Amino acid sequence: MKVTRRGIIAGIVVGLLFVVLLAVPLFASHVNLAVSIWTDVLSFAIAAMAVNLLIGYTGVLPFGNAAFFGLGAYGAGLTIQYWHVGFFGSIALGVVASIAGGLLIGPFLLRRRGIYFALLMIAFGQIFFFIADRFTDITGGEDGMTFTRPAIEWSKTVISDTHLYLGMLLLFAVVALVFWMLVRSPFGRSLVAIKENETRARYLGMNTDRFIFVALLISAAIEGLAGACYTLSIMNADPSRLDFHESGNIVMMTILGGSGTILGPFIGSLIFVIAQDVLSSALPWWQIPFGAVFVICVLFFPKGILGTILDVFEKRRGGFGYEARDTLHGTVISEREIQP
Amino acid sequence: MAHVAPEIFNGLILGAFYAVVAIGLSLIMNLTGTINMAHGSFMTLSGYLAFAMVSAGTNWWFALAAAPILTAIVGLAVERSLIRPLYKRDPVYSLLLTFGLSLIAEEAYRLIWGGNGVPFAPPGFLQGSVSLGFTDFPAFRLFIAVALLVIIVLLVLFLQRTRLGLRLRAAVQDNEMIAALGTNTQLLYTINFGLGILVAGVAGVLAAGMLGLNPQSYSNQLLMPAFVTVIVGGMGSLYGAVVGGLLIGVTVSIVTLYIPAASEISMYVLMAVVLLVRPRGLFGEEGIFG
Amino acid sequence: MSEVLFSGENIVKHFGGVRAVEDVSLSVNAGSIQAIIGPNGAGKSTLFNALSGFYKCDSGNVTFKGIDITSAPIHQRIAMGMGRTFQTSSVFPNLTVWDNLLIGLQSAANLAFRFRPVGSAQRKTMEEKIERLIDFVNLKASAHRPVAELAHGSQRLCEIAMSLSTDPVLVMLDEPMAGLAHAETERVVEVIRKLHSELGLTVLFVEHNMRVVLSLAQRIMVLDRGKVLAEGTPVEISANEAVRDAYIGKEVVEHV
Repeated sequence: MKVTRRGIIAGIVVGLLFVVLLAVPLFASHVNLAVSIWTDVLSFAIAAMAVNLLIGYTGVLPFGNAAFFGLGAYGAGLTIQYWHVGFFGSIALGVVASIAGGLLIGPFLLRRRGIYFALLMIAFGQIFFFIADRFTDITGGEDGMTFTRPAIEWSKTVISDTHLYLGMLLLFAVVALVFWMLVRSPFGRSLVAIKENETRARYLGMNTDRFIFVALLISAAIEGLAGACYTLSIMNADPSRLDFHESGNIVMMTILGGSGTILGPFIGSLIFVIAQDVLSSALPWWQIPFGAVFVICVLFFPKGILGTILDVFEKRRGGFGYEARDTLHGTVISEREIQP
Repeated sequence: MAHVAPEIFNGLILGAFYAVVAIGLSLIMNLTGTINMAHGSFMTLSGYLAFAMVSAGTNWWFALAAAPILTAIVGLAVERSLIRPLYKRDPVYSLLLTFGLSLIAEEAYRLIWGGNGVPFAPPGFLQGSVSLGFTDFPAFRLFIAVALLVIIVLLVLFLQRTRLGLRLRAAVQDNEMIAALGTNTQLLYTINFGLGILVAGVAGVLAAGMLGLNPQSYSNQLLMPAFVTVIVGGMGSLYGAVVGGLLIGVTVSIVTLYIPAASEISMYVLMAVVLLVRPRGLFGEEGIFG
Repeated sequence: MSEVLFSGENIVKHFGGVRAVEDVSLSVNAGSIQAIIGPNGAGKSTLFNALSGFYKCDSGNVTFKGIDITSAPIHQRIAMGMGRTFQTSSVFPNLTVWDNLLIGLQSAANLAFRFRPVGSAQRKTMEEKIERLIDFVNLKASAHRPVAELAHGSQRLCEIAMSLSTDPVLVMLDEPMAGLAHAETERVVEVIRKLHSELGLTVLFVEHNMRVVLSLAQRIMVLDRGKVLAEGTPVEISANEAVRDAYIGKEVVEHV
């Protein structure tokens, strides 16, 4: 791997970022933002990265992604409630649940592309929402389930908020690293190719359905991981995690921060979670300016914050630095237009 | 058996709602590929405007006519300023933009009219019930049934018989061609959008009387089922929207009778079954993928 | 030189009420270069799409290398040795020419689904192949520019190079001259000629430009309104009355 000046600058910036994040438990109380809020930032950042894999790199619009987030959340919650599993066990089972969800709905989604894919995914997401919402006896219905945080299996201690945060930071770093490697791998490049032009990808011998399916499963797994961790942080699992609005929020974070970049989703999550926490008390109608910012972003800054910044600084010329261009291009090609 | 009949009738009315909302969505989607996530918000706007007018003293019938028109005007403005710049881009942009608008709208309604919703009763003589032989039925629901039927018929007539309707249908088939023939396609897109919102507006006022009026923009109650209707009926088919809507409405109503917890899920299960058997939907066009 | 590499029998493709392709049969001998021509709306592109797997045939068979591929998915046909270009160049617009070719080579080497980075030896082999492809179509100057920025002719050449990246034995070109300026046409014609003469590939192409067709093709098939109107050598087709009638009154023949 070549070491470029650009790479060094990026490395320094990312390094500084992690130093700041590491120090959060120290300054959290001074800025009136509890450590648990920061944990949530990281949880949603991971979820947004999962969505980014699909929007920014594979070119499909996963507007029902909260299904996986919620499956992770409920997978963890239900197994804690009924099977009394420990901390890591519940996370693992949450991931299993979301992958299972992906396996279940994947074959349906793969038959379509574009708008239709998006609609289908929204619809399937709603199935899980209504199951969680209505089967009150099992899932606690509208109010969801509340439980105490389970102990770590081997030490039998319950993890504190601060230690949970640090654990999440480590997890976030790992996921970001995995994402970075994935995007650089032949598989990742094939996904980008599919996003650019799926027909051409097929005519180069790629079984695009398989690629998209695997990308979907990876995204589901990461999203489920985020959901499980989020649930363990707030010690509650409720149906709104599965709702279409949640999907929309996570998609917004991804786009606002910058789809097609690796850390863009983190920035989006940071802004969203903190705005939600800070603004909602001062400004109960904070969704209006936030929505307006998002609309402006879609109209004028489609690359998102990080994408636009990178664009200004780098003037990249195509190649797999395609992020510099229209990152949402190819996401929703109509099926008619797939024809040459 | 006797107690299923009113449920079926209810289901047909609900289905007619789904159909009408789906038609509005489809009109917009078919021509420009725009998925209007704010469709429910426009319906709600129309409901609230009607409410405001009636609260200010106007006649309910006047509100029924005026609110959708005002809402359609707002729709035209939105299309012209926010959505038109996105036509040359990938359709994902307009989906995201309208989603953002729906968030702003919901919060704005909450701010102006409160978070708990407002009561919006239909006019006096439409309250109460009417005897239908096999059961007594709320008069307002009968009125809604008739009104929705009228809307669908009017739309069909408009699309089949008028020149504008013909242009719209031709544009869906091939908008390069009609642009070459001299039609101002941008204007057509705007009118088309306005038409879709007008339909949504009427549905919104009617829905306000039947389902209540609150800031949540009917998203779960009407918008989602409308999406499912489009999927089941088949994208690109207005006929499919009608049949699909009615089918879903009846299914949901009957399931509600026997397994209330599964009522919403039933429409998605129906959708999954239809897709397994016929991926293009009941009346959809054959896609590349079947 | 006379074995049939690729054939379609009784291909039928309808779209709703439109009978785009009606009982068309063709066969392509190995090592030959054949053209399909016909007035607009004759069904040429539809036929191409049906033969290459983009559409499912309503009825009929497609045989490649002696194997029935009628229901084979596109990626399988490519793996068997088919390559194809489109009327509007189907490339990866935001990637460089280099990366466009890399994707194809990656796929052909069965590396596309790999999560670990490619080993340096394999990487070197692929890079050499990319260089050779770029030289073949003479795009060295623009190798590291995004394809979307190139002129139409260069994009078309990039696309042809991409179709070669999967090591095809049959290359199908759908209106390779479409949208090209006159000067660019020569470059593309040269490359197509080289496909056949230098690389020994079998070439099947659809084209409107009669001058190009007559100079390149060994055999020509004429379609009109979804049916085969005539088949034969360039000389035979030029002299064919029915062919002339089909064109006159239907369209103005370009670039003659």
